[in-house]
Amino acid sequence: MQALCEAAVEAALGAGADYADARAVSRRSQRVETKNGRVDALSDSESEGIGVRVLLGGAWGFACDRRISVEGAREAARRACDFASAAPGAHARALAPADPQTGSYRTPVSRDPFAVPLEEKVELCLRAEEALTSPDVTVRSAFVRARRELRLFVSSDGASLEQELVECGGGIDAVATRDGLYQLRSYPSAHGGSSAQAGWEYVEALGLVEEAPRVAEQAAALLRADRCPAGQTTVVVDAEQMQLQVHESVGHPTELDRIYGTEAAYAGTSFLGPDDLGTLRYGSEHMNVTADPTTPLGLGSYGYDDEGVPAQRQPIVRDGVLRGLLTSRETAARIGSGSGGSMRADGWSRMPLVRMSNLHLEPGQGSFEELLDGIDSGIYLETNKSWSIDDKRLNFQFGTQIAWEIRNGQLGRMLRDATYTGVTPVFWGSLERVAGPETWRMHGLTNCGKGQPGQFAHVSHGASPARFRDVQVGVST
Amino acid sequence: MSASELAERVLELARGRGELEVVVQRERSGLARFAASEVHQPTLVDDTVVQLTILREGRTGSASTNGTGDEHLARLVERAATAAASGTPEQGLGLTPPAPLPEVAGFDEATAALSAGDLAELAGAAIGGTGDLDAYGFVTSGDCELVVRSSAGVEAAQRFTDVTVLSIAAGAGVSGYATRSSWASGDVDPAAVGRESAEKAQRTSDAVELEPASYRAVLEPYALGELLHWFAYSAFNGLAFAEERGYFAGRLGERVFDPKVSIADDALDPRGLPKAFDFEGTPKARVSLVEEGVARGVAWDRVTAARAGVRSTGHALPLSGRSFGPLPLALSVAPGEAASIDELVELVGDGVYVTRLHYLGVVDPREGILTGMTRDGTFRIRDGKVAEPLVNLRFTVSVPELLSEVPGLTREVALVNQSDFYDERYPFGALVPALATARFAVTGTGSGPGL
Repeated sequence: MQALCEAAVEAALGAGADYADARAVSRRSQRVETKNGRVDALSDSESEGIGVRVLLGGAWGFACDRRISVEGAREAARRACDFASAAPGAHARALAPADPQTGSYRTPVSRDPFAVPLEEKVELCLRAEEALTSPDVTVRSAFVRARRELRLFVSSDGASLEQELVECGGGIDAVATRDGLYQLRSYPSAHGGSSAQAGWEYVEALGLVEEAPRVAEQAAALLRADRCPAGQTTVVVDAEQMQLQVHESVGHPTELDRIYGTEAAYAGTSFLGPDDLGTLRYGSEHMNVTADPTTPLGLGSYGYDDEGVPAQRQPIVRDGVLRGLLTSRETAARIGSGSGGSMRADGWSRMPLVRMSNLHLEPGQGSFEELLDGIDSGIYLETNKSWSIDDKRLNFQFGTQIAWEIRNGQLGRMLRDATYTGVTPVFWGSLERVAGPETWRMHGLTNCGKGQPGQFAHVSHGASPARFRDVQVGVST
Repeated sequence: MSASELAERVLELARGRGELEVVVQRERSGLARFAASEVHQPTLVDDTVVQLTILREGRTGSASTNGTGDEHLARLVERAATAAASGTPEQGLGLTPPAPLPEVAGFDEATAALSAGDLAELAGAAIGGTGDLDAYGFVTSGDCELVVRSSAGVEAAQRFTDVTVLSIAAGAGVSGYATRSSWASGDVDPAAVGRESAEKAQRTSDAVELEPASYRAVLEPYALGELLHWFAYSAFNGLAFAEERGYFAGRLGERVFDPKVSIADDALDPRGLPKAFDFEGTPKARVSLVEEGVARGVAWDRVTAARAGVRSTGHALPLSGRSFGPLPLALSVAPGEAASIDELVELVGDGVYVTRLHYLGVVDPREGILTGMTRDGTFRIRDGKVAEPLVNLRFTVSVPELLSEVPGLTREVALVNQSDFYDERYPFGALVPALATARFAVTGTGSGPGL
């Protein structure tokens, strides 16, 4: 496939491209889902092809071809050049310099997830699901997944890279229904469990079977819980919901392509401007956010991004001040810096975009119990249920699967249907404390959407539970 | 090898492995995405995906590949067979029986023939339509084929085209939105889309905030289509119905909306993006979901229908999305009697005017509660006329409540694209009028118009 990438780049340069890169990707994905004691889905998919990106006359072109052949590679290069040549208007897109890299990267794996028999995967799901059995739990489900992706990258700058990324994960859900009420509990994370770049040892360590009774018990208990009252109060947000909070209100707004408006037609833009770097107060002094594609087990980890830039850890927010942005070679050139290495594409048939990799809220100090200390009255929120945020990433509303009343520094009665809402810098400005490293958890999600045509990115977020004051909980409809 | 020949080849290779179902999706598409009036993400895709499902002794497994050589296909058969052998047995889940397919429109030679250069030219026209304002959006077209063949005798094939132009015209503190879709490129005027977005944008400067409360409102077709698309995920979904997490569970036959509201799924309507069959080869038909405000039905695919003891309505999704359950992807809302949106504004008298919605989330599927933001054209309605522009509003609405009192709908319906073009291309959209409601719950305010 290396030779195909080289042929594509050569063909693009021959067709007039000033710059070209080619990515050949071969991907295999496997998924097992069980529901209420039977296999609900069992699929095994393969996809391969080559994507060629060119810069010609200052305009981008991208085309792809599923054929793993010199003919397919050259055809994609020619079509990409045709598209760039046809771009209406004048263009002057430029790339920040990047040292051409040669090398390879592989996910460290102890047990290859594709060497694990399907029967074993089915059996794990069925056992986990069986452990969800409870009188009010009407739908029990479990799933596991695995993916292996071989990526080759060659650029006209001289980069030549090979990466093999292996990931797997799983999760369980318990749905409880009674008298028209519906409640859901998930583990280890909502909306598709959690995945990591790792071998099958990651799935085995999730403890799906062991956690299932608690998950089922809470789902059933939610049917009898009181609705979360509305009002302004102190909230403690669990690590998992904090991960989504970081994703939506810090990750996306700090993508420099969004700041420049290239995502305006779909996911939206950002309340940030390029000049805010180094000066904008994003939140309180307790807020520290780091982008780190080198995180072990991170679902967004890599050796090099899809422009061949090496993975690098960088501060995004330090002591509440905006210190970094997620960049590509093109967007970095506009602010006069080098690329932060955040360009990623979904497979071979999509053009790379600025993407989060692993974005973490750094831990503070103290235990979860210490986080509750001093709260006379508040709400503890756990596990995401719904999410929505405006086009500039300012006004958000999140719902959680479960909540508890906090009284005099202690968790009290369970509450259902909790939501909270806020405006990004105001909310982060009200951050009073982040719990310590022992409470820090990381989950990997597979459904981060962006781009037209749409692309999914796989990313991880780590966070500890955190405490915010004066937060609006609940809305009236 | 054609898509049908490819499907036949897989059936041959897998013969004797069990009951077989082969789905082939072929796509040749282009998308010219622009921002700040420049094309910045031009994407040309050429792909063919073949998927094989094997049923053996009640166990089901599937595999897919986009390689079409013998080596790929042989591996496909082995992986599907291994998957099927690993499943749990379930009786009563046979393959879809063959049935006559409806004849539908939906293919246009001129659209299929659009080149990269043509798309770039169309994008240029859309950009030009926004005049002095910058344009953000895309022009896309696709030439796709879906083939379903099975050992039960299903032989379904359809080639369909689609084209969508979307434009946000934006400047300092202003933005407006417009989009058009069709299966024939001749029906879509990119410059007119650009102009519509710019005209809307020009009216959004100096937007003001609005106190959260329940307002009467007019929703343009863009907004109503988006709202119903998200509501449909659980409310019109047979799996969600069976699992009692959808709003229609336990409510079929009950009056749930205003009698002016009737909703069907109609993939046969030539004004939409017509489809003759679903991803299991079940023929498409018009399916009534709401008749004059009364809940009448939900969508089913083969497996969910068999488990519920009903018949498939032809709403199986591609395998990658099958776990969502069957979804109606051709929603069609019956028109009303209003001659124009202005007439709806008059009916509302005092309220808000919503062009489009952004980033919806399902707060409570059982009660049909959604949240989201308005965007790119939100206005106050005063004295029966569109008045001052508003900042983007957060709404948290019970859709059944929003539709429980509907002063009117327009006579004209628009096709609203609902595909974000993830995975393999399968264009779909809804036919919707503009709608006036007596209850639109504004629960907060966000940023203003513009970037």
